[in-house]
Amino acid sequence: MFEGISGADSRLKRRLLTGAVDDNLRAIENRPAGRLHRRAPFPWLLAAAALAVAAAGALVVAPRLGFGPFAEPSPGSLAPTVRADEPPSTGPATDPAAPPPRTPGAVFPVRIERIVIDPGHGGGDQGTKTPTGLIEKEITLDVARRLAGHLRTAGFDAVLTRDRDERVVLRDRARIANERGADLFVSIHVNWFQDGRANRGIETYFLGPSDDPFVTRLASAENLESGYSMTDVKRLLESVYSDFRQDQSRALAAAVQRRLVRSVRELSPEVVDRGVKSAPFLVLVETEMPAILAEISCLSNDEEAQLLAQSDYRERLARALSEGIQSYSLSVRKGG
Amino acid sequence: MSGKGQVLSVGVDLGTSQSAIATSSGERHVVDSFVGWPVDMVAKKVIKKQVLIGAEALENRSLLDLHRPLEQGLIKEGSEKDVAAVREILGHLIGVATNGKEVKVRAVVGAPAETLRVNKQQLRQVMRGMVDGLIIVSEPFAVAYGLEALLHTMIVDVGAGTTDFCVMKGRYPTEEDQRTLTKAGDSVDELLAKLIAERHPEIQFTIHMVRGWKEQHGFVGEPTDKVLVHAPAHGKSTQVDITDEMRIACESLLPPFTETMYDLLAAVEPEYQERVRRNVTLAGRGAKIRGLAGRLEAALEELGGGKVAMVEDPVFAGAAGCLSIALDADETDWEKMSA
Repeated sequence: MFEGISGADSRLKRRLLTGAVDDNLRAIENRPAGRLHRRAPFPWLLAAAALAVAAAGALVVAPRLGFGPFAEPSPGSLAPTVRADEPPSTGPATDPAAPPPRTPGAVFPVRIERIVIDPGHGGGDQGTKTPTGLIEKEITLDVARRLAGHLRTAGFDAVLTRDRDERVVLRDRARIANERGADLFVSIHVNWFQDGRANRGIETYFLGPSDDPFVTRLASAENLESGYSMTDVKRLLESVYSDFRQDQSRALAAAVQRRLVRSVRELSPEVVDRGVKSAPFLVLVETEMPAILAEISCLSNDEEAQLLAQSDYRERLARALSEGIQSYSLSVRKGG
Repeated sequence: MSGKGQVLSVGVDLGTSQSAIATSSGERHVVDSFVGWPVDMVAKKVIKKQVLIGAEALENRSLLDLHRPLEQGLIKEGSEKDVAAVREILGHLIGVATNGKEVKVRAVVGAPAETLRVNKQQLRQVMRGMVDGLIIVSEPFAVAYGLEALLHTMIVDVGAGTTDFCVMKGRYPTEEDQRTLTKAGDSVDELLAKLIAERHPEIQFTIHMVRGWKEQHGFVGEPTDKVLVHAPAHGKSTQVDITDEMRIACESLLPPFTETMYDLLAAVEPEYQERVRRNVTLAGRGAKIRGLAGRLEAALEELGGGKVAMVEDPVFAGAAGCLSIALDADETDWEKMSA
């Protein structure tokens, strides 16, 4: 092997061949297995559980799924997460981090054409805000516009639920997606952690129950201005948690989370991959297509806030979202 | 398949439109990725074969249950017939390569850059019993390896189902070094067919005819000649000018290609970006679209300039690269990769 080439070239070729063989071995042995890690329970579960409309919705549905919102939580039952850089492994059916079963998407490969992008908040609903004046509603709109540009370049039809600073209630955001016949719905938000400014991380949600109090509180905050009545919430939540859409939403969330984390870690290696999670965000409830809510960054962290003030960083986030969506789109076309 | 002394190394580019094989004995073959089985006893009597492959299948398609079993470079899921068709194509290529001799076959097969693990496993399953050792690699990596463009280069492999981009950074490419787009030969064909149908509703044509027109006349940029093709209209052969439609369809590749090149280049370490820009190589049958390399080179001007070259033999570049890998892999590698 490698006769007639320099030692450096020979070593390089050997390294590449070893890489190729290792890649094949990983595929044959189906490794690395998805390493699940579970977050420790938060102590203030009961206080958070009573919050707002979404929390009420979660309480309605939780018993059907074996979660007891007023029961003492056990570590194993709390908001499991999947590391976005690892493939999912097998797990129980009720585990939101478990891999989706073979779904109709695998049998009927589909083409993703129209994507509705939902910039979180707007108008009088500012979302989170830093003392320096950075406002979530402006960041989400900027990233959404950039994302729409990338998706259109890639051949998709991208539609925004709002293209200016205006209030659009959650119900109308879902209606826009449904009436426009969207194939995917991607809601963009920026996180805020009240329990520590040192926290920074990226997390992506799909619709499902959660008994993680942090998640419940987050959903409650995002579900304000919903436009839904309590009756609506009950009706909606009862119908959606176990359908095909949830499996596809989870797959989309995993693809987006993976690209976001990888992209941000190129600049900030310490950023935390908070994983793919299910939560009862109302904006995801009435959409009739795979839908996710991405918390693309964290305004409560000073370093993140500084980065978010830079257009290059927002461009990076938009690009990563686009890549994740395209990766998912390709996988469903392949029937994956 | 043990007990055979002589080893035949083969490289296979399993393509959506065409599949090619290159062997250590110097054989090179290419076949259209179509397989057809006679639809009934009458067809079987006329054809006198159990199965037809490639151009032969296309020519006799009215008598056949015709399958194009690969979609975007991958085996279509959900159809046993398509899996069987892939097996027929690979069996045909390996059979031609071995020429009936009892030899140990070690194969390297190229798959799209972002192929899912499940698809690789499916391909491995299909090839079980057909070869003695199997390594599956990303297609653009195979092209790069064959060209010895191993460091600070970018390969753009324009196939029928996918276009694969890969930046070689001196390591086996990871997910972040590669992109797979579904903007490729087939998407151009689909758009071209749509545009022709809109402008010339009276013309009758098939996607096979459109593919042939594109392969013969495809271009981007300013046309050098009118693209005139013949197709029936109300049963009468008619000449049609499809210059504008051809240009629009072929140029639909440019924005996603440019964006993806920029994207991958931005992820290269700054000191090497210029070297990568100056070492972009176009491969695959889609690379034969006239003017494509020039337009991509022009797009690189925005980043400070670059050089886009075309491989000498776009059809066999992938298979030849796979063969190089097969020949360079040592016994230890093959022991791990027994099929």
